[in-house]
Amino acid sequence: MELLSGLIDNYYYFVAIILFVIGMHTMLTHSNMIKKVIAMNIMDTSVFLLFVAIGYVHGGRPPIIAGNEEALYVNPLPGALILTGIVVAVSVTAYALSLIVKIHRTYGTVDCDEICKIRGDE
Amino acid sequence: MVLSEQLPALIVISPLICAFLSPLLYRRHARASAYLVLLSLLLSLVMAAALLIKVQRSGPLFYQMGSWPPPWGIEYVADPLRVYMLLVVVAVSLWIFLYAIQDLGHELREEVIGWYYTLYSLLVASMAAMTLTNDLFNLFVLMEICAITSCAIITIKEDRECLEAGFKYLILSAMGTGCFLLGVAMLYMVTGYLNFDFLQEELSTAVLNYPLNVFTAAALFIVAFGTKAALFPLHVWLPDAHASAPSPSSAMLSGLVIKIYAFTLFIIFYRVFPRSLLDSLPLSEIVLWLAAFGVMFGSIYAMLQTDLKKMLAYSSIGQIAFIFMGIGLDQRLALVGGLYHIAVHAITKAMLFMAAGTVIYATGVRKISDLAGIGRVMPLVMVAFTIGSASMIGIPGTGGLISKWYLALGALESGRSLFVLVILLSSLLNAIYYMPIVINSFMSQEDFGHEAREVPKVLQSALVIGMIFVALTGIFSRPLIQLIEAQITLLF
Repeated sequence: MELLSGLIDNYYYFVAIILFVIGMHTMLTHSNMIKKVIAMNIMDTSVFLLFVAIGYVHGGRPPIIAGNEEALYVNPLPGALILTGIVVAVSVTAYALSLIVKIHRTYGTVDCDEICKIRGDE
Repeated sequence: MVLSEQLPALIVISPLICAFLSPLLYRRHARASAYLVLLSLLLSLVMAAALLIKVQRSGPLFYQMGSWPPPWGIEYVADPLRVYMLLVVVAVSLWIFLYAIQDLGHELREEVIGWYYTLYSLLVASMAAMTLTNDLFNLFVLMEICAITSCAIITIKEDRECLEAGFKYLILSAMGTGCFLLGVAMLYMVTGYLNFDFLQEELSTAVLNYPLNVFTAAALFIVAFGTKAALFPLHVWLPDAHASAPSPSSAMLSGLVIKIYAFTLFIIFYRVFPRSLLDSLPLSEIVLWLAAFGVMFGSIYAMLQTDLKKMLAYSSIGQIAFIFMGIGLDQRLALVGGLYHIAVHAITKAMLFMAAGTVIYATGVRKISDLAGIGRVMPLVMVAFTIGSASMIGIPGTGGLISKWYLALGALESGRSLFVLVILLSSLLNAIYYMPIVINSFMSQEDFGHEAREVPKVLQSALVIGMIFVALTGIFSRPLIQLIEAQITLLF
């Protein structure tokens, strides 16, 4: 019972892990490259969600100092880190997509299995 | 402000600035742009050497980025072990770049070479920073820079094979960094720190209160670094990526990029995880067994290859596993062997890829069976290949012997004689697939059947430098071994 209520209280951790597994599974098993990139983003975003959730303090205010030093603040550090993480994820996505464009130009498909077949026939 | 205290940052900044300037310069003066990269790498090398002397004399240097103190600010630490790795990174990449200047012209389109310089400098900067950083999140960012640039120096060639291999590499390394970041989140959750030293202190109590979190993080780290460094079952991306890339990229990827991740795993095992965690969980044991399988399977796969560069790529899977074996044995002498193997293999494999690249440059031949008699046409290149092979096998006088010797000593001392057998057997297998190439190229009855153009002086000198390096690591290993040994002793 304690475990269950612990899970319900911290459901965002749970959601993050489920998203992570969905992302990783799709990324490794789907043969469509665009889907792989989408899955990569789902996976990254799930970790960002987890990180931001760690920094959340129940009933906390935004971490802006407004004269009143006693107030409870949300931990600002994870937010700052994840901002960097998002930038990194965007650049990886951009690179992956540009790579897919090139692959489509050379092979005429964005499906990994078909590319394997084309390469096998050569 | 004393300049020598800024060294850790300056070493990283020098190639970073060059990364922005070189493509601009390339439009006007292609030659000058290459010299700029050389200059910046040389500058980093000199600074790294100065840093080594400084830390040897006055102990580890802690550098706070922007003077923000840890645990919030990013901290760089320069201790002799990290600076040793830094020196290997900068020195080997400078040497490979020397080779790249000449070789790139025939593998890439003229207008992208300037961009190649950018990617190359960024890669060096990220790897140099990875050896020094003392902050998990900074490490994540650097790993992503390293991942993108190392994929990009493969796909910049834009032929069919490279594009596909590059995409596979990108996806798997994205999975690696995803796992790594999740692991970081797990540790941050229980400790609230990202700085290595603070984490280690806090983890020794956290591991008792929240064992699940810490265990998951440890498992995720092994998957993350295992994927990136091509530890045995996670190596699938490596052969295609390393074999299809332009030769300087292959040398860089096989020589340095996979090693940097093995080194980072070592740092995380010994500088982030408290001793009690390593003792209570079979982490080293897992790494050890994966490494043992990697050593065997890498060599067996390599024997089956018909393409020269692919064979070298598979051989890398076997050789990187030696470094993991050092970490896995979790024993003083074995760690010395494993860490020394980083330098030895970085030099040797880079040289072998350069030799293979030179053969392709001059003759266009990639198949192993076509190499018969080539030693009489291109003696210098094949002598370099022979010396590299000797070091891979571990023949006395080369660095390969020293690192395998220490690994075997470590295995014996911790009572794991089985792994001595694995090391011996893998040397034998290495001999089985390297020696026929060497023997065939010099003593084959047939003459070499393809046209060979003359090998440019730059490529030749790069190979000569490589041979000197390999001989030095074999004959004058004492100073480096002593440096590593002194540092490893502090860990136990």
